[in-house]
Amino acid sequence: MSQKKAQIQVEQKVPESIVKKTQRDSKLRDLVVKRRAERLGQNKVRRAQLEKSAQAYEAEYKATEKSLVDNIRKAKSEGGFYVPAEAKLILVIRIRGINTLNPQVRQTLRLLKLRQLHNAAFVRINKATIEMIRKVEPYITYGYPSRTVIKNLIYKRGYAKVNGQRIPLTSNTIIDQQLGKYGIHGIEDLIHEITTVGAHFKEANRFLWAFKLRGPRGGFIAKRRSFINQGDWGNREDLINDLAKRMI
Amino acid sequence: MTSVPLVSVFSADDSTKVTAKHIPLPAVFQTPIRPDIVSFVHTNIAKNRRQAHAVNPQAGMQHSAESWGTGRAVARIPRVSGSGTHRSGQAAFGNQCRKGRMSLPIKVWRRWHRRVNIKQKRHAAATAVAATGIVPLVLARGHRISQVPQIPLVVEDKIESYEKTTDALNFLKRFGAFEDVQKVVSTKVVRAGISKQRGKKYRVRKGPLVVYFNENAKLLKAFRNVPGVEVVNVTRLNLLQLAPGGQLGRFVIWTQSAFAHLDKLFGTYRYASVLKDGYQLLRPLLTNPDLARIINSNQVQEKVQPAKTTKVLHEVQKKNPLKNTKAMDRLNPYAKKQRAAATAAIKANTKGTKKIKKNKALKKASRAAFNKVSAALNDATKAAVQEEQDIKVKYFSVQKGAAQAE
Repeated sequence: MSQKKAQIQVEQKVPESIVKKTQRDSKLRDLVVKRRAERLGQNKVRRAQLEKSAQAYEAEYKATEKSLVDNIRKAKSEGGFYVPAEAKLILVIRIRGINTLNPQVRQTLRLLKLRQLHNAAFVRINKATIEMIRKVEPYITYGYPSRTVIKNLIYKRGYAKVNGQRIPLTSNTIIDQQLGKYGIHGIEDLIHEITTVGAHFKEANRFLWAFKLRGPRGGFIAKRRSFINQGDWGNREDLINDLAKRMI
Repeated sequence: MTSVPLVSVFSADDSTKVTAKHIPLPAVFQTPIRPDIVSFVHTNIAKNRRQAHAVNPQAGMQHSAESWGTGRAVARIPRVSGSGTHRSGQAAFGNQCRKGRMSLPIKVWRRWHRRVNIKQKRHAAATAVAATGIVPLVLARGHRISQVPQIPLVVEDKIESYEKTTDALNFLKRFGAFEDVQKVVSTKVVRAGISKQRGKKYRVRKGPLVVYFNENAKLLKAFRNVPGVEVVNVTRLNLLQLAPGGQLGRFVIWTQSAFAHLDKLFGTYRYASVLKDGYQLLRPLLTNPDLARIINSNQVQEKVQPAKTTKVLHEVQKKNPLKNTKAMDRLNPYAKKQRAAATAAIKANTKGTKKIKKNKALKKASRAAFNKVSAALNDATKAAVQEEQDIKVKYFSVQKGAAQAE
């Protein structure tokens, strides 16, 4: 380009506006190149960090599962029983539609992020949320999700709420930008936070949009009855995982 | 002061000879081109030549038709009275009826003419004159001016004294204007429609417009019979001729004195018009139309914010990481190693999970305990069953005994 300019200058003057514009453009281009190099460097560092933490989480999960099994066996061998800690996390799935709802039920479902049929959400268990769930029990089914189900939900059906928009989780940048300040830099960090109901579970869960699941392959049993009564609604504890697998 | 474009005056006999060099262009030719004003003024001015016409007020109404009213299984439209002819009982008067009068019959007191503000008319004329000096506009209007030596074409006053049509024709040929005349001749067509029976048989295009100044010029008669050519005095420039159909860019041939008169007629940007009382030429919206220069100037660039890049948060299509390995690797850098470990484990003919170090001793102890409990349960069940059998036997034997006793 500069060679061409030299030739032109021999014949005629280059208009000043063109000179100014080319100078400005080259400056901007340099900036872009510099920023890109920076970004790539940062990405590399982050990826190494994420790999390390993912490895650590894997070990942690295995250790937790192993300790549970060991404790049960130990208790059995002593002739007693091992009572594992109560679940801290439940997966709630809405099984009823939007028509003819009691306004309190409607509002509570909205608070649980369950605005639509077959929407699913993670909920931490405490006194407050137990009361909420009790209120809407006939309209939902819930239970204790397994690690696989949590992982599959977030990978396959994971969308984030960013600026009020539903953004798919296609890269760790989105997670890093929103949750980086809570120490959650990637998707495995997010999954870990949800499974272990960590210190920033609230922010992590709020970051997630409600999971929009499909209807279960094989169908429900009877939505008009509770699960205990050979139906579907209410607490089905660990059996939520079978249902979730059919719905993801 | 900006440089003024200059124009040469050509000799009437020889198109290569220039009798006056570098005459400044009159200020009219610098007027901003306003096709909106021209089209507005043209649509209204064009109505002013119309002659009143109307339909016969009695047309369609010369019957004593009356509606038959309801109850006769016919529409309620007025029907022709009488009998003895097909016409009787037929519908009449309505616009929808055959032989009925039209709806809203045209009256002679229709408003045929339109008044336009004088200033608008003057601005339109000025713009139209300016457009005659712009080659692309003249070409776009359809004039054949490729051989014309200069636009605007200014010729010495000698042509004002032409009396013979041959002189006029030769003049046009010399200046490349004959091509335009030929266009007019070759494209003369019989008009479509009824107008051809009403005195407008042919549709003829517009050719060059010759503008002269001296009132006793004879060139009108010379040019009159040349097809397409119109002649007009500069003091009576007509928008309908300068921009026929509201289209800017008529091909105009000016005489030198007519050209010189334009400054007096329309005035300049320094002085208002002499002949059009109080008229000042329209000023352009932008004094500096060089947008590239304005945008790239330091004053603008200092204030300008950096260009916004479209921030794409995510790709348009979300890929399922559980199935798509690329998507998975992008999200979880550890996934590759996990997959490799899994395949290696399968290859090594073990189950997919890592070998959990089993606590054999604990397993054995728990097994033993389970067996003990189940054995105890079995014994207890057996004992309970045996007890029930004994009670039954006792009961039935008692019954038997009682029955025997009876």
